[in-house]
Amino acid sequence: MIVPIGPIHPALKEPIRLKLQTEGEKVVKAEIEYGYVHRGIEKIIEGKTWQKGIYLSERVCGICSYEHTQTFAETIEQISDVDVPLRAQFLRVITNELDRIQSHLLGNSTFFKSMDHETLFMRVLELREYAMDSIELLTGNRVNMGWNVVGGVRMDADERHFKPILENLEKIEEGFERTRALFAEGPALALRCKGIGYMSKKEAIKGRAVGPIGRASGVKEDYRNGHYTYDDHFDFKVIRRTEGDNYARTLTRFDEIPESISLVRQAIENIPDGEIRTPVDLKSGYAMRKNEAPRGEVTYMIETNGSLIKNISIRTPSIANMDSCAKYMIRDVPTVADAVATYATSDPCVACAERVAITNEAGKTSIKKWDEVR
Amino acid sequence: MLNAIKDAVRKSSIHVCIVNCGGCNGCDVECVALLSPRYDLEQYGIYVHNNPREADVLLLTGAVTEQWVDNLKRIYDKAPEPKIAVAVGNCPQSGDVFNQEGGHVHAPASDFIPVAAAIPGCPPRPSEILEAILAVGPQAIADRGREQE
Repeated sequence: MIVPIGPIHPALKEPIRLKLQTEGEKVVKAEIEYGYVHRGIEKIIEGKTWQKGIYLSERVCGICSYEHTQTFAETIEQISDVDVPLRAQFLRVITNELDRIQSHLLGNSTFFKSMDHETLFMRVLELREYAMDSIELLTGNRVNMGWNVVGGVRMDADERHFKPILENLEKIEEGFERTRALFAEGPALALRCKGIGYMSKKEAIKGRAVGPIGRASGVKEDYRNGHYTYDDHFDFKVIRRTEGDNYARTLTRFDEIPESISLVRQAIENIPDGEIRTPVDLKSGYAMRKNEAPRGEVTYMIETNGSLIKNISIRTPSIANMDSCAKYMIRDVPTVADAVATYATSDPCVACAERVAITNEAGKTSIKKWDEVR
Repeated sequence: MLNAIKDAVRKSSIHVCIVNCGGCNGCDVECVALLSPRYDLEQYGIYVHNNPREADVLLLTGAVTEQWVDNLKRIYDKAPEPKIAVAVGNCPQSGDVFNQEGGHVHAPASDFIPVAAAIPGCPPRPSEILEAILAVGPQAIADRGREQE
């Protein structure tokens, strides 16, 4: 029997259709139907200036909107051979990590909601508000920050911003330990999480799972490691686990939060003086950049003719994570309720995933070459 | 007398369903933030069901994409009377940045279903969404109920 879930369903916060093939209570196969949020952003950006493009790229996804603008800006900077001032790079790290904290907390809260654990759901959302406060204090907005420009960041920050941010981080840390322990050591949740939605390392690589979802299965890629700012000035530990189940995925996201907090502290402590924005002489060319968004690797490929964007292609982590969720994690989940919870642990972000529609004729997937697509 | 009782009951139990008809999910995140202890939606008698069959208020976000052209009306018909739709954010009102050449959106949402109130912003703050639901919700639901009788 096929059980359809969605597009509007109590457990989902974004429209998507899950088709679960069941045998009795057991789920044997799952399929995801996309297409409810396709807006055609890539096509809209074509032929526009970067000022309009960066505004649109922020609206690819609301939860991890920050990383999209940073990657967009860095790609244009790479085309134009510009070095961003060090102070701007540090400010970018602060916002990036604050965004990661709020995104991970939101991802986990969605999972607890789908498990019907109201206490943890509320606690995690309470902690998240402190991160949102810090973001609003620094950038002026809660969700779509508009913080990055090509060549640096929009505004400068000083002690008046840093001091309340550090206080907010302390408040997050205060409640964090207990919340994490409640999940990691509480018997009620662990019974429903451990061993459910298992994905091995081999499958994670095969399904191209990235970010915390891949790292929970033992994949070690974290694209912050190849980033020039993080490599030269920051110390952090990449969190990895090997269990590959719902428990591991949730705990990976939890454990990345203290690392992010420590990165924000390092940035505030060592922030150098100087310019925050450098004038950019735009050049024509093509560049590709990868960055670590909260959900994994986000890639931007941009081709410009000097002032206008000729072509843009955005690859987001969610499409890979959701596909590997449908293929490997949901397979052999004991109940339909667990299948929904497993889907929530893959931290799906539907708005991210919906930019390209691949036509599938008679069950055959056609892979188009780069030249054909443009 | 009957109407007064109905109004009193409806005022303190508003069931909300969030319908994302194709946006960037920024507004949806702010609706989720409403559930947090800081705003605590439930103390105002508002409950987020996300089930259209039980909803009094449909919170519309997003710019009405191709798939939602037919489905939006169907979801609206599923909700029991009296019901109202509130548009959250710029997208359901104008399509925001997506409503230009190359985009696949069919904004505004009011072309497909009647929209009682709109909250501008990209995205609006949680307190603004809350204020709007509380300001228009009870009265609009009561009016809509009278119309049906």
